[in-house]
Amino acid sequence: MDLLAQTGLNAVYAASYISLIAVGLVLIFGVMGVINFAHGELYMAGAYSVVLIYSDFQLPFMVAVAVGLLFVGCLGLLMERALFRPLKDNPLGGLVASIGFLMIMQALASMGFGVRMEHIPPVTQHVIEFSERVRLPLSRLYVIIAAVVLLTVLWVFLKKTRFGWALRAAAQDPEAAALQGISIKQTARIAMFIGAGLAGIAGALTAPLVSVNPHMGHSVIVTAFIVIIVGGVGSLEGAVIASVVYAIVHTFVTTFFDGVVADITGLSLMLLVLIVKPTGLFGSADRA
Amino acid sequence: MRNLLIFIVGAAALITLPHFLSFSQQEILVFLTINILLVSSYRLLTLTGEWSLGHVVIMGVGAYASALFSKELGLYVPVSILLGGIVAALLAVLLSFPLFRMKGFYFLIGSFAAGEIIRLLWKRFRDPFGGAKGIKGIDPMPDFSIGIYDFDFFEPISYYYLSAMIVAACLWILWRIERSPVGLTFHAVHWQDKLAEASGVNLRAYRTLAFAISSGFAGIAGALLAHYIGTINPNSFDVEVMVFVLTWAIVGGTGTFYGPILGCIVLTVLNEIVLRELGFEQMRPLIYGAIMILSILFMPKGLESVVQRIISRRAKT
Amino acid sequence: MTTFLEVDNLTMRFGGLTAVDGLSFKVEHGEIHGLIGPNGAGKTTTFNMISGFYTPTSGQVRLRGEDISGLKMHEVARRGVVRTFQHSTLFAELSVMDNALVGTHMPFRPNIFAAIIGWDKEDREGARARASEALEFFGLDHLKDDLAGDLSHGHQRALGMAVAYASHPDVMLLDEPFTGMNPEETRQMMELMRKLRDNGITILLVEHDMQAIMGLCDKITCMSFGKFLAEGGPKEIRNHPAVIEAYLGGARHVA
Repeated sequence: MDLLAQTGLNAVYAASYISLIAVGLVLIFGVMGVINFAHGELYMAGAYSVVLIYSDFQLPFMVAVAVGLLFVGCLGLLMERALFRPLKDNPLGGLVASIGFLMIMQALASMGFGVRMEHIPPVTQHVIEFSERVRLPLSRLYVIIAAVVLLTVLWVFLKKTRFGWALRAAAQDPEAAALQGISIKQTARIAMFIGAGLAGIAGALTAPLVSVNPHMGHSVIVTAFIVIIVGGVGSLEGAVIASVVYAIVHTFVTTFFDGVVADITGLSLMLLVLIVKPTGLFGSADRA
Repeated sequence: MRNLLIFIVGAAALITLPHFLSFSQQEILVFLTINILLVSSYRLLTLTGEWSLGHVVIMGVGAYASALFSKELGLYVPVSILLGGIVAALLAVLLSFPLFRMKGFYFLIGSFAAGEIIRLLWKRFRDPFGGAKGIKGIDPMPDFSIGIYDFDFFEPISYYYLSAMIVAACLWILWRIERSPVGLTFHAVHWQDKLAEASGVNLRAYRTLAFAISSGFAGIAGALLAHYIGTINPNSFDVEVMVFVLTWAIVGGTGTFYGPILGCIVLTVLNEIVLRELGFEQMRPLIYGAIMILSILFMPKGLESVVQRIISRRAKT
Repeated sequence: MTTFLEVDNLTMRFGGLTAVDGLSFKVEHGEIHGLIGPNGAGKTTTFNMISGFYTPTSGQVRLRGEDISGLKMHEVARRGVVRTFQHSTLFAELSVMDNALVGTHMPFRPNIFAAIIGWDKEDREGARARASEALEFFGLDHLKDDLAGDLSHGHQRALGMAVAYASHPDVMLLDEPFTGMNPEETRQMMELMRKLRDNGITILLVEHDMQAIMGLCDKITCMSFGKFLAEGGPKEIRNHPAVIEAYLGGARHVA
């Protein structure tokens, strides 16, 4: 029972940062129409912001997280301007360009910080003990709270504001949106900033809890792909739900079997969804 | 007559080429030769309009199969290489059932998932795949002599000659296929699948055929690699290698037979020789990434479009 | 004797909408048969069911007594029923000759092993001959090296027919073959269709151009709102009160 509860807590934690990353990826895909292969490296950039600001400059953690959000958001703007806008009629080109960007980011991280794992001093040592064997480190709780707050804010932003309306319209039908007087460039910039920023903040928040290294983006991008496929490409709600499902399945399989079996299970789940319903469990729009 | 002359000069150049290179450059030449087969086989699949992210894993299937055939069953290495290709092709036929329910972007992601699952299975099952450490001590190609030349496969030059011959034969077959009515049908499936179907083309069968052939040759490339380096593991065939194949094809262009080969040669020489010689060891991925971005931005139709422009300009004057 | 091509109680529903509702008619061998009706009558849906593009919700399409409904398009094609498409659906990136060669896929099935070794010379020559014949028939042989995408609209429509004709069909299903043609092109195309019929090819066509259809068809089936309305020769149809009512009513409805 304790094991079950503890694994459940781990799953909630995993779901929260995965959904931050996946929602960003879906947002970018929806508005830009490209799969951002460099999304894992945006996450990595967020983590290194914390390495620099928090552990090297010794500034408060929250400052480091804020810098991570802004810095990675600006990286997103850079990608939009330099890569995706010129390549907007060439989806395969966008993919290649994002892979090139990924390689540049990894190389910059290795050159700036070295390939070794970074040690980041813990933000808090405090642990909430539900029982002797069910524990939740406070730093993990922060990630969970941050994810819930951010995703709620994003949801309200998308549903209630004019910008959000424009963003959703542009994601559904760019041409019709343009006819409605929505500036596609403007919405693209906002989507890239938010999408990248979410990856950055996920990286910043989890930096003290994971091993920070230049190649940390790889496993994250695979997970994010699985989640956005299962959730239905282009569906934000689907991405969140799929993150939760994936986190639960993966965490439990890891606990009761091992990590490799868990990865195989996750990928098989995605393949199964692709076979049965290629538009994802929650997707309806056909954007191939 | 002119073609024969070009052929003789080309063959002579390819034979003498390794003698001008250092040992490590000769090794790179062997990899380059194998990679040319890999990327050319990839192009055959792209003829039908599908882009896979599992091609390198399929290559790995050929490598694993051939390594195991020679190691566990004691098969003669050339036979096991051929069988490696056949296993890869058969696996592709099997994979086509789930994968060809998808198209375009979904096929891309689906092939990625299928490839990763295969890779994880190699990792998980220590028997017979050797787990994360892979297979070591793969039998090398047995030495032999053809009178004028003694093949000693500890020398990269020998392996280069052997693989160059095998790759040339494979490329010839791929070329014949592309120039045949089958190749025309692949094009038809790509550009207007509905019209092709209305002309009686079984779309699934032709997509599967292209996938199987392309996988078979990728498998042979993998087997050639395995018997050269002697050790393979799941990470030898990970998505980073796939990224290289993808960029060779896209930077070179897939409109012509030579496009991907050109991309492979230019980028390999640039990455492995020029940047290394210039002493940019750590910055290599950075420069490589920048080149990828610049070429896709300013040369979206690939290197082949530059070549075509030069040829047509020549034809005019 | 079994009917050559028979549509029997064919029905197609998309969600709650019934596009075609219990439609039945027969096409005799060697005739030019027209399928007409006001906009939204379900002509194209019917056409797509016969060619295997859609699987009907219920009902059958029978060719020489064999049920072919629900077969895939290439399976229908292999039974001799070959369709053309609306607009200019062609292999725009391939040459006119290559387009026609794709059309010869069925009579000269490619064999990969023979192709590699080079033992398919006869087939390749046969296919080229058949493709040339089809191009010549539609007056396109002088354009055979041009890219299909560069042809004029009328030539593209003709090439679409040539691709279908190259496969030696028994039945050609033509989806609005006269759309976008000028009167002269239309006249030539009608002439070619009569020639096709005289060569023993049965033609079923869907068309808006009333003039062409009345002058060309041996028999006409008119449908309205997914249902059978009337059938007969051009004269009967032209004077059929239900048809006139449907077209006038339909016109008012559309406006």
